Amino acid sequence: MAQAVAIVGTGQTECGRRTDVSYPELVYEAVSRAFDDAGLVPDDIEAVVAGSMPPAMEGVNNPHLYWADAMGAGGKPLIRTATCGSTGISLAHTGFYHVASGMFDLVLVVGAEKMYEGDPQGTMATVADPFFQRPFLAGAPGIFSLQSNEWAHRYGIEEKRVRMAAAQLSVRNHDDALLNPYAHIRIKITVDDVLNSRIIAYPVRLLDVCPASDGACAVIMASERMAKKLGRPTAWIKGVGYCGEQAFFSEGDKVVWQSAINAAKSAYSQAGITNPRKDLDLAEVYNPFTFQEMLFYECFGFCDFGHGCDLVEQGVVMRGGDLPCDPSGGTLCTNPIGATGLQRVSEVVLHVTEKAGDRQIPGAKTGLAHAMGGLDQFNGIMIISSVL
Amino acid sequence: MTQRVAIVDFVQTKHGEALEENVRELTFGVVRKLLDRVDMDRSEIGTMISSSADYWQGTSCSNSYYYDAAGGNLKSGSKVTEDSVFALIYGMMRILSGHHRTALVVGVTKCSECPSENTLTNLAADPFFHRPVGLNTVVAEALQARMYLDQYGPSEEQIARVVVKNMSNAERNPYSHRGGKFSIGEILSSSMMAAPLRCMDVPSTSDGACALLLADEHTARQLTDKPVFIHGIGWSVDHTYIGDRDLLNGALPKAAEMAYSRAGVKNPSKEIDVVELSDVTSFHEIMWMEQLGLCDAGNGFRLVEQGVTALDGRLPVNPSGGLFGANPFVARGLIRVGEACLQLRGEAGDHQVPRVNKALAHSVHGLGGQSHSVVILGN
Repeated sequence: MAQAVAIVGTGQTECGRRTDVSYPELVYEAVSRAFDDAGLVPDDIEAVVAGSMPPAMEGVNNPHLYWADAMGAGGKPLIRTATCGSTGISLAHTGFYHVASGMFDLVLVVGAEKMYEGDPQGTMATVADPFFQRPFLAGAPGIFSLQSNEWAHRYGIEEKRVRMAAAQLSVRNHDDALLNPYAHIRIKITVDDVLNSRIIAYPVRLLDVCPASDGACAVIMASERMAKKLGRPTAWIKGVGYCGEQAFFSEGDKVVWQSAINAAKSAYSQAGITNPRKDLDLAEVYNPFTFQEMLFYECFGFCDFGHGCDLVEQGVVMRGGDLPCDPSGGTLCTNPIGATGLQRVSEVVLHVTEKAGDRQIPGAKTGLAHAMGGLDQFNGIMIISSVL
Repeated sequence: MTQRVAIVDFVQTKHGEALEENVRELTFGVVRKLLDRVDMDRSEIGTMISSSADYWQGTSCSNSYYYDAAGGNLKSGSKVTEDSVFALIYGMMRILSGHHRTALVVGVTKCSECPSENTLTNLAADPFFHRPVGLNTVVAEALQARMYLDQYGPSEEQIARVVVKNMSNAERNPYSHRGGKFSIGEILSSSMMAAPLRCMDVPSTSDGACALLLADEHTARQLTDKPVFIHGIGWSVDHTYIGDRDLLNGALPKAAEMAYSRAGVKNPSKEIDVVELSDVTSFHEIMWMEQLGLCDAGNGFRLVEQGVTALDGRLPVNPSGGLFGANPFVARGLIRVGEACLQLRGEAGDHQVPRVNKALAHSVHGLGGQSHSVVILGN
């Protein structure tokens, strides 16, 4: 039986073009904030989990070893987890299992990326296999645009309607990012701005796409015994789910998307969630592309398949709605990839412990954190609640 | 730990300089063979944890390329990177949590398809201070070797015996990439690479893959008559900058202490019957032995000279040939675990050591051994 796992501290850096700090200094900023938040010092930590995107992103091989001192990890067990875009949630899962296994009582989990150091699209172009997919599927926008078109086509959703819903999501994210002191893109935009922004890969326009960011995030996890001893504001991990699929994009159904569906199902079943729309108070859905977010609503059971747009049109997923999504401004406005999934976790923790400041969803008790990665291939979920 | 986790079985490729199969085919091959050996359908696998590294594969998000081929399609899984023993550790944690009964653990590296070890490990040096002066794994290891020489004064001949032993052991191992009978003279006449390391003191890289199946005790006993139990596991990291570290006493004693304490090992040199360690150079086999507490500091080369660590010695070290036999950079640590497992099961063939009840496997990565993992196995 898994030991209960708590989150007792989080730390995030301001994200953006962080030329004021080196890569380890960026990590240090997040880690020291997590320690301050938890009222702990590095000596208290028993094990460390760290990760990021491919090291080519920053040009430093073994980034976890480069960060060792910045994390206070010297002399401690340190593992590096890396699963592409889903790295952040995979890090959270790795930390969870460090404690759930009964092996450790207090674990530091760190994700970071400094994307202005290198060439993010150049790095991501080499995710696709060199022979079949790379020549025409290189980089992130290509696959996500294909997926969005396939989704709209499958359900016969009118082009104009999808376009408008996605634009509304972009406006929602940008508005919410203004409330988040850590967010990268902090601009006020209108639906017209989105519709008039330049095309990146049809139907995706510039304001439908996330930025590349520098940023780091750290989370401190504890066993039930330790969390109670610390007596600080605590969030509890109620369920984890992860699923990976085929390496070749064309071999899987990316609309009724099995990896997303399975990840949510297993997390829900551990957390005892039967009706996510009702049982969840917020969701931090990994949304580097506006269109894709609506597809996730369907795979996560927030609505029936083919009805993702409805939730936007009805305001369900907006701040003040039934199930607010990405009240942080989401991945769309901030994407230091190795940290992004962990930021989703941190944000849910802040809401359920009522520490989210201006962006707080009032009364939020249970939330979902999500990240996606690979060639539209990996999905990971964590359900976090204020109650054990 | 209340529950025990066992290794059900282990499969590795015949490692080589440049294998014909691509990374997908290599992982598929070892996983398929493993499932056939334990007579298990892929649907019965709980989770798949792999280990590979992006720079060492020449693709970003390296597990994206082989996730399905390695048996993970539509399963929960993850990738822990740089040291494949981390995959064993993470798989074990997932079983201990009770979420999964079995975990497939896979490691793969094709060094033939990426830039040289020196290029890739130079990228592991910090970009501002260490990279410009050319620090890489061999340079860092040479600094350590020099310190060891200065401190304890072994002769070149005494160190070269490690290579003679491991290459000769490797010749008996059907999965090794290389092996053979070499004289001390041949080793000492090989050209200088980074003083005091000669070309033959440093095993070059290989292509290879391996897979092992972990299970909780109950499940393991249903799947095999010869489960190998993980008695203890330990891992530790040292400081970022090589100048901030004690290069003769780093993270390894801490990793070993954690593993021994979890395994209840009090006197490792007496209790351990066989050792599979990551001999990144001839010197390092000796240094790691000492830092693992298998002998006193400065005494390791004497044990080698006395034949204590030989195949028929009191404490055989690297009967498989170690990294001198095959060095697929990321997968090599998990191969050490697998070889220790074969020894415990009595399945090591020509390189089998008699009477093995407890075995130690060791893995290392990072410049000058910045990170180490230690696994204690028993039957």
